[in-house]
Amino acid sequence: MEQLIEELKKEIIEVLNLEEMTPADIDENAPLFGEGLGLDSIDALELIVLMEKNYGIKLQNAEQGKEIFKSVRVMAEYIQEHRTK
Amino acid sequence: MSIYIQSASQISFQQPLCEKWLDEPILPIQSFNQPMEPDYKQFIAPAESRRMGKLLKRAVATALDTLAKGGCEMPDAIISGTGLGCVENTEKFLNAVIDNEEECLPPTPFMQSTHNTISSQISLKLQCHGYNSTYSHRGTSFDSALLDAVMQLQLGRVNTALVGGYDEMTPAYFKMLGKLGYWRDGDVSIDELKKDGIPGAISGGASVSALLGNKNTQNALCQLVDTEIFSCNSVEKLQNKLHSFLNRCQSETAEIDAVMCGLSGDKANDDVYRDLLCKEFPTIPTLWYKHLFGESFCASGYGIYCASHLLNAGKVPDLLIYNGKFEKFVVNNILIINHFQNNDFSLTLLTKCHN
Repeated sequence: MEQLIEELKKEIIEVLNLEEMTPADIDENAPLFGEGLGLDSIDALELIVLMEKNYGIKLQNAEQGKEIFKSVRVMAEYIQEHRTK
Repeated sequence: MSIYIQSASQISFQQPLCEKWLDEPILPIQSFNQPMEPDYKQFIAPAESRRMGKLLKRAVATALDTLAKGGCEMPDAIISGTGLGCVENTEKFLNAVIDNEEECLPPTPFMQSTHNTISSQISLKLQCHGYNSTYSHRGTSFDSALLDAVMQLQLGRVNTALVGGYDEMTPAYFKMLGKLGYWRDGDVSIDELKKDGIPGAISGGASVSALLGNKNTQNALCQLVDTEIFSCNSVEKLQNKLHSFLNRCQSETAEIDAVMCGLSGDKANDDVYRDLLCKEFPTIPTLWYKHLFGESFCASGYGIYCASHLLNAGKVPDLLIYNGKFEKFVVNNILIINHFQNNDFSLTLLTKCHN
């Protein structure tokens, strides 16, 4: 799980172009939206694309995203359970 | 009503956001030239810039620098020209379409691939709710934006207008244009570019803007007498257009101190200038700028930028002189002539500010 969290942090930094950040700067338990990283709706779309492209997970409805994108750890747990690649 | 260029700035392969090229120009050493990037953190917070492509960052920085130098916090209009928009993002998106077999497409490059993203991004940054327009007319994109700004001012709809020309040259697009013979092979020294009969120019991106206003501010660079764009397919017709333009400006060819042309070193581009200059301005010095800023769809913006600063500085560096000699040291009127593919022309007359 810890390895997946690290991998995910790197992917988030790359896909969201968080130039100033390193994986160590991201608290895996902090909220991704609002507080914490302060991401917005466009970032949510980028994360949905990331999940599908890198892990083969296709989110069926937007409501799922609210739960899955709570934090990096929650996201990693969901990926571990549902990944197809 | 008089119109003034109150400030003008640029990012190019010269020192960015300044006029060091007047004294310490950077000479091109190859056909493919990338801009020298300034420190964008001065203008855009990292969180804000993370979603911006390179061209958007350049455009925002150039626009903000121009406004700051013109002492203007909020222009009444933002009018931009761009031949290709944010083509780097367009390429990213199209490559993703192919690589991902039309699935999992990234939203950010898609949003930024539209041409009007640039003008919109500047207005979002400024929170400017005034007139906002984008012209995408290939080689006359900047000239169209300039003409719109002049007409908006003449009609009294706005008091200030930020006009810009923005384009980027990606390696892939450079390669494609290269196959069409756009670029110079080998030696790109100034002497070599000046030689007649050789095909190909040097490339550059464009991020250049000017603040136009109806007030002669303390820092105004020059007065813009008039500008015009038109299509024309012969030098004779071009001469007629030139005469009627100068008549409208109540000026004559003899009153022009210098002619700034879009000469690039490419025979296909330069022949029409040579022909016109020979017939209409045989004794008047010719200036050029594309050897210092490169060729791009919005390169004509650098012609306006350069001429404005030359009039303000009251001097013309030797490197800007294509041919001819100045008999007098005072430059009051500069006529700027540009064309795109020998068909779409623009004429602009700038004159020194008389305070």
